[in-house]
Amino acid sequence: MRKTFIILASVFTLLSVVFSVLPLGTIAVLPIAIALLLSFLALQKSDADSKKLPKILLLIAAICLVAVIGKQLLVKEEVAKDAQFEQTIEKSKEEDKKELEELENLEGDLE
Amino acid sequence: MKKTTVFLSALAVMLSVSSYGQTIKSGEKLIYSGSYNMSGLMTQLAQVTMEVETVSTSKNNYLHLSCQAATYSKWDSFFKIRDLYESYVNPKTLEPSLYKRNISEGGYTKKEKYVFKNGGKTITSTLNKKNMPERTRTFSINPNAQDVVSLLYKIRTLDFSGMKVGQTQSFTIVFDEKEIPVSVKYMGIESANAGNLGKKNCHKIAIGAKTQALKGKDANLIWLTADAKKIPALIKFSIPVGTGQLTLTSASGL
Repeated sequence: MRKTFIILASVFTLLSVVFSVLPLGTIAVLPIAIALLLSFLALQKSDADSKKLPKILLLIAAICLVAVIGKQLLVKEEVAKDAQFEQTIEKSKEEDKKELEELENLEGDLE
Repeated sequence: MKKTTVFLSALAVMLSVSSYGQTIKSGEKLIYSGSYNMSGLMTQLAQVTMEVETVSTSKNNYLHLSCQAATYSKWDSFFKIRDLYESYVNPKTLEPSLYKRNISEGGYTKKEKYVFKNGGKTITSTLNKKNMPERTRTFSINPNAQDVVSLLYKIRTLDFSGMKVGQTQSFTIVFDEKEIPVSVKYMGIESANAGNLGKKNCHKIAIGAKTQALKGKDANLIWLTADAKKIPALIKFSIPVGTGQLTLTSASGL
């Protein structure tokens, strides 16, 4: 049972590191929570002289959690400047004005 | 008696017109942070910007209502969203003349344009989808029907002061070339954070629509500040693929 917990905890700790590094926001909390739980269970099942690995996994998951929370609190979410999108908006406005003029000619004054 | 009725009706129209003017003003810019519930965790996904500006042609003035949604830069490499919803409306009545929807979501694109003709009785729609030829069709609609963007602004002009909890008002929107009945249910007053405006008392309203696009009973909610501006401070939505919310981060040009 200890071996199973160690293997699963290792997998989820690895996932935690990957998710924490990638810009996935709070989604990273999911593998971290599972890694913490499995590492804790592995630690409980381990004998006094074989607690080193579960402790390391627990520590890595905890560091990942701090990193994710820190990023959430300190890093400001921003939208990248998208010249193509801005151009689309401007072009759309010009087309719309023509469209409205055509509609007015068709319908007469609105007011 | 007849003159009095005419006078009162005229007064009511004037008051409602001035109320539109007070609530929806050119230059208004509202920025929201859009979050999506992923496995129980609210994850900030996109920024939604709602802007109002005046557009003049040689004959008329219009209010250009636009809603832009753009994913935060960190998501762009995974699932880039650049959506643009626009409506050109009569500044006095908020009746739409032109509605456009330009969607770009993770490689999927769709462009839709509705031109409201014959006093809003017919729509000529033009649809462009990725890998599909352009399609144009004209169809009749209920003259009171409007597009989804102008409806969002029209809701802000409702007088909630006289409404009782549970009271509803009905509207009709045209979406995906279909008329959809929409109900606006008053849910009472609640406080909500309104970004740079601070914590505000808000009118809580539930939007119901006979469409697969919205899920749940009273699960699609809008908190409008309980003042003359009726700024949407918080919007919660429930759609087939999950739930999310828009929280106001910045309001300017009010």
